[in-house]
Amino acid sequence: MNDTPRETGYVDYVALLGLPPDFKPGDVRRVYRKKMKDLMVEISRAEITEERKNHYLLQIAQLNAAFYILRDRERGEKYLADRKEVMDLEEEWRTHADDPEKSDQLRRRFDQTLRAFLSTYLEELMLEAGRDPECVECSHWDAAHERHASRVLRHYRQRLYQVIHERLPYYDITPPRIDWEERMDVARKTLDFLSEAGQHSVAGGHAS
Amino acid sequence: MNRHADTVQKQPVTPERVAQVMAHCVATGDFVNFRFIFAPFSPLRNDSTENLDSPKYAYLLPEDTSDPLYLSALEAISKPEILDHVMAQLDRKGPPQYPWQPLLMLADNATRLGKFTMASQAYELLRVRRRIQEQYLELGDEAFRQGNIPRGVLAYRVACGLDYDYAAFPEPLPAVPNYQHTALILHGDFPETLEQSVPLRPEPEFVRTGLVYLAGNAEIAGRLDAFDHETRREILAEWIRSADTDWPAFAARYREALRLAEAYNRRVREIIEKSGPHAVEMALDEETASLPVRAQVLLSGRQADNLEWWQCLKELAASHPAGALFVTRAVVVGNREVLLPCYRGDSPLPAMIGLAENASRETPGHV
Repeated sequence: MNDTPRETGYVDYVALLGLPPDFKPGDVRRVYRKKMKDLMVEISRAEITEERKNHYLLQIAQLNAAFYILRDRERGEKYLADRKEVMDLEEEWRTHADDPEKSDQLRRRFDQTLRAFLSTYLEELMLEAGRDPECVECSHWDAAHERHASRVLRHYRQRLYQVIHERLPYYDITPPRIDWEERMDVARKTLDFLSEAGQHSVAGGHAS
Repeated sequence: MNRHADTVQKQPVTPERVAQVMAHCVATGDFVNFRFIFAPFSPLRNDSTENLDSPKYAYLLPEDTSDPLYLSALEAISKPEILDHVMAQLDRKGPPQYPWQPLLMLADNATRLGKFTMASQAYELLRVRRRIQEQYLELGDEAFRQGNIPRGVLAYRVACGLDYDYAAFPEPLPAVPNYQHTALILHGDFPETLEQSVPLRPEPEFVRTGLVYLAGNAEIAGRLDAFDHETRREILAEWIRSADTDWPAFAARYREALRLAEAYNRRVREIIEKSGPHAVEMALDEETASLPVRAQVLLSGRQADNLEWWQCLKELAASHPAGALFVTRAVVVGNREVLLPCYRGDSPLPAMIGLAENASRETPGHV
C-alpha cells in the first residue's frame, strides 16, 4: 500500500488488493483468490514463529475483509464513503486547530467517527469475513483462527488509532519540543544510573 | 454531630503549593498523582471542595524537601511559563492541557526508579514512547556489539518495561508481565516424547523461546536474532540472572529437586531392567515414590504437597519466571502428573545460571 502520510492508518482495501479505482466485483474475486493463494504458498514455506503467526493471521484477515467488503457493491460504497468522511473530518479539525472552541468540538466528532470506522472495518467486518463461505474456502479460516485473531485485530486497530493520533495536533498536552540527541544522552545516563544502582533495583525489567 | 474539630477551613491554593505538589509527583515519577492534580475534584483547584490541608492529602506533599530530584523538579516547574500554564488549567473548566516539560521529567524519573508503567503512560501521552523505546533498544544493540552483555540486557529490559499493550480491553494499557499465564501456554501440551519437552528443545530454539518468554514481546526478542547463537545464549543467561534477585536461592532448590528426581529415575530404571515396567508401581517403596512430589514442592517454593502441576508452575512462574523454562511435565507412579526439573545435558546454559554443577552432564534431569 502506498498511502500518503495523511491517509496512513485509514486502511485502504482497494490499494491492499491492488485494484484500479473503477474496479468491478469480478476483479475483486480474481485478485483476492490470486493474492490468497500466493499468501498460502508463502505461509507453507515459512518457519512459523509466534511473531510470524500473528503477522500472517493479520494478512489473511485483511485479505478476507478486503474481499468481503468490496465484492458487495453497497458495502463497498459505504466503506469508501465512511473512509472519506473520517479523513475529511481529520482535515477539518486540522484547519481549525487554532480555534479552541471549534477545535474541541471537531476533535470529539472526529474521535468518535474514527473509533467507529476502525472498529467496524478493522475488527467487526474482518471477523465477519472469516465466517463467509467463500473466504473460509480460500483461506481455511476456522473458529480457532477467530479466537486467536480477536486479540491480534484489537491490537491492530488500537495501533492504527495510535498511528493516526500521533500525527494530530496536540490538545491534551502542550506541544513538546524534543531534542532527540539530548534524549539519547538521557537514555545513556539512565542506563548508567541503573547499572550503578544495581540492576536488581530495576525489578525484573517490568515493574511498578 | 459536632465535627468542628475535624474540619479544616480551605485556604486559597497558591502557585507555590501547586509547584510543590507537582514537583513531588515529578520527582517520584507518579503519573497517577500528576493527573489527579488536574482532576475536577482536585484539592489544588480553588473551586473544589477538597482541601489540600486535610490529612488525607498529605501524600501529595513531599516528606523530604531536600531531595535533589525534588529540588530540580521544583526549579523547573517554578518557571513562570510552566506555572502560569498550570494555574490557568486549574482555573479552567473542561479537559486540562498538561505541560509537556514536567511530564517528560516525570517519565524520565519514573524510568530511573523502575516505575515503568508510570513512565510508559507519560511517554505515551507525550507521543514519544515508541521512539524512546527504540532508543533503549539501539543502546542495547550497541552494548551487545561491544560485548557488554549486562548493559545490553539492562537496556532491553528497560525497553520491554516501556512496552504498551494495544490489545488491552477496553483501552490500551502499559504491558505488564504475566508469566503465570505465559508459562502455562509454554507448557500447554503434554510432552509425549523427550524432544517435545520445552527445556529439551534444540538449544537455538530453546534460547529463542526463552528470550521471547522473558521479554514478553516477540518483536523485541526477534531483534536479538541479529546476533550469533553464543551471544544470544549469554544474553539469556544474563537476563535470567539480572531479572531475579532470588535466583541463586532458587538455583539451590532446583539442584536439590534435580537430585531427588534423579534418585527416583535411577530406582525406576533398576526396577524396569530387573522386572519390567509393569512392576514399577508394586516394587517402588513409599519413600522413593514420594520423591517427584518433593521435587515439585522444592520447585514451587510452597510447603504444600497436594498442589497440581499447573498450580506449581504458576507459583514458580510468579516468583522465578525463568524457572518455568527449566521444568517439564511428567507422569510418575500413581498416575500423578507433576512438574520436574529438566535441562539439556549438552547445553552450557544451565551451568551458566547455576542450575547445574557443571556443563557436561550426560543425562538430562528428566523422568
